[in-house]
Amino acid sequence: MRLRGWRHALAVFGAIFRKDLHVFLSYRLNAVMRVVEPVMWITPVYFLAKSFRVGGVNVGLDAYVGTSDYISFLVVGSAMSAFVSAVAWGMGFALKNEMDSGVLESNWLAPVPVWVQLVGRSLWSLALTTANVFLVGLTVWIFFGFKIAGAIVPALLTLLPLLVALYGLGLGLSGVVLLSNNANNVIDIVSNNITILCGSQFPVRVLPRPLLAMALAIPLTYAYDAVRGDLLGTRTLMPVTTERAIIAGLMFVMVAAGMAVLGRIERRCRDVGALARH
Amino acid sequence: MAVMAQATGSARPSLLRAAFAVVGRGLKINLRYSTWFLPYLVWPVVAPFGYVFTSRALSGPNNEALQSFARLSGTTDFTMFVIIGTTFWFWFNMMLWDLGGSFRLEQMRGTIESNFLAPVPKAFMALGAFVQSALFGTTTVCLSCLTVYLVWGLRFTGSVLGLVVVVLASIPSIYGVGLIFGSLVLLAKEVNALIFFVRGVMTIFCGAAYPVAALPGWMQAVSRVLPLTYSIDGVRVIAAGGNLGDVLPHLRFLGISGVLLLVLGFASFEVIRLHLLKTGTLGQY
Repeated sequence: MRLRGWRHALAVFGAIFRKDLHVFLSYRLNAVMRVVEPVMWITPVYFLAKSFRVGGVNVGLDAYVGTSDYISFLVVGSAMSAFVSAVAWGMGFALKNEMDSGVLESNWLAPVPVWVQLVGRSLWSLALTTANVFLVGLTVWIFFGFKIAGAIVPALLTLLPLLVALYGLGLGLSGVVLLSNNANNVIDIVSNNITILCGSQFPVRVLPRPLLAMALAIPLTYAYDAVRGDLLGTRTLMPVTTERAIIAGLMFVMVAAGMAVLGRIERRCRDVGALARH
Repeated sequence: MAVMAQATGSARPSLLRAAFAVVGRGLKINLRYSTWFLPYLVWPVVAPFGYVFTSRALSGPNNEALQSFARLSGTTDFTMFVIIGTTFWFWFNMMLWDLGGSFRLEQMRGTIESNFLAPVPKAFMALGAFVQSALFGTTTVCLSCLTVYLVWGLRFTGSVLGLVVVVLASIPSIYGVGLIFGSLVLLAKEVNALIFFVRGVMTIFCGAAYPVAALPGWMQAVSRVLPLTYSIDGVRVIAAGGNLGDVLPHLRFLGISGVLLLVLGFASFEVIRLHLLKTGTLGQY
């Protein structure tokens, strides 16, 4: 099944985006919670940081990374984690939702490749996350205050290839969800723990050696590190240019691997007729 | 109805029998999906992960900031402090999903109306969900202690009897809140947002990851009326070498609030069920 040009792809993306927007607006309580929930996650960590302050300053963090501003450190990590989660949820959970609603088979009968449908499903999630990150950032700034003193453009040079790499991860993950029939568990465990292990909340230097080795083997760690280096001027694990090169390499590997995994699992599900099974 | 009673061999409909049928069904479904057990094993180990390593980072490479934490919490062992808090948080979170989710799932599946047509006292569904959730929850907490022991290498040197008493005393209040919550889910027809909200409030106010003393005065006042604060603090007192006498105020609060919340839980389920029947919205979602 092939796409009939970019107009076809845009039409598919537009249709899926409108449908997801419509569903989102139907559940208003959920919409409100999208803003409230991240603040609820950040608040406990704020008070944890407060309980370790010496003379109002987080001297411990300063000794590790060269900044005592833990809230800024956390906000940057949380914003990046939100994007990791948006792509993983947007793609992986979408398939499970369609499976539960009994529309997965009919959607796959549409003359559109599955990966295009999946990318389409992630677009609303991504748009919502972007708006959400700004709103949450504003809320946290009002309540707790934080300062981004560094350059934003160099940070984008790390973020954009990372986003493409995340699409690769999302495609592979959605395949795994199809096999396991349980999106919540797979995505929850993988997404949450990978981001935490890679340093969304703390500098990875504090990890014990085996976990540090694992964290250093995951390129996402360098993305958190490089973006914080750019935005907050923290001490990075490697020179920022090296970390950016790692993320660029990851982009190609993840997209190729994600497409391969999804393609294989898709063929298998079609062969054994396991699409609507749950 | 008489034929049904004859077929089941029972002279009159039994509340307990129906409630245990709900438990049996839940167990069967859970065993059917093997991956559903994965989070029960993984989450207790990884839930403290973020807070423990954040504490380590904030403490500093030479524990420069540890004394500040110790002044507020009364201990320098932040790993044990955090793990106790997150284990209770995990238990509470699991209960919210279990109770809120079970009623909502019946609504989504379209089976809630037909279940309420069964010729048994209508409290069977709330009682069944309560027993099932309490059974799963306490088993998971025990499993959590084992995995925490194996993975985190923590050794609980306090009184085991004290630990057991505080955990048992926490059950009524935790599940009382759960029943009220589950009833509200039936009314609001929304589970995720409500769970995120209630769970978030508990995480912030109960001192799961940090000493309540770090909160501003008005937030400390709120935390003092939440039973989970007493459960978490009670276990921390026991872990620090305290005995049952040291946690008597905690046990008193948990006992009184537990009875009140359980009664309120079953009552709110009944009131909301009757409201939904009157308005004809029981099966809507």
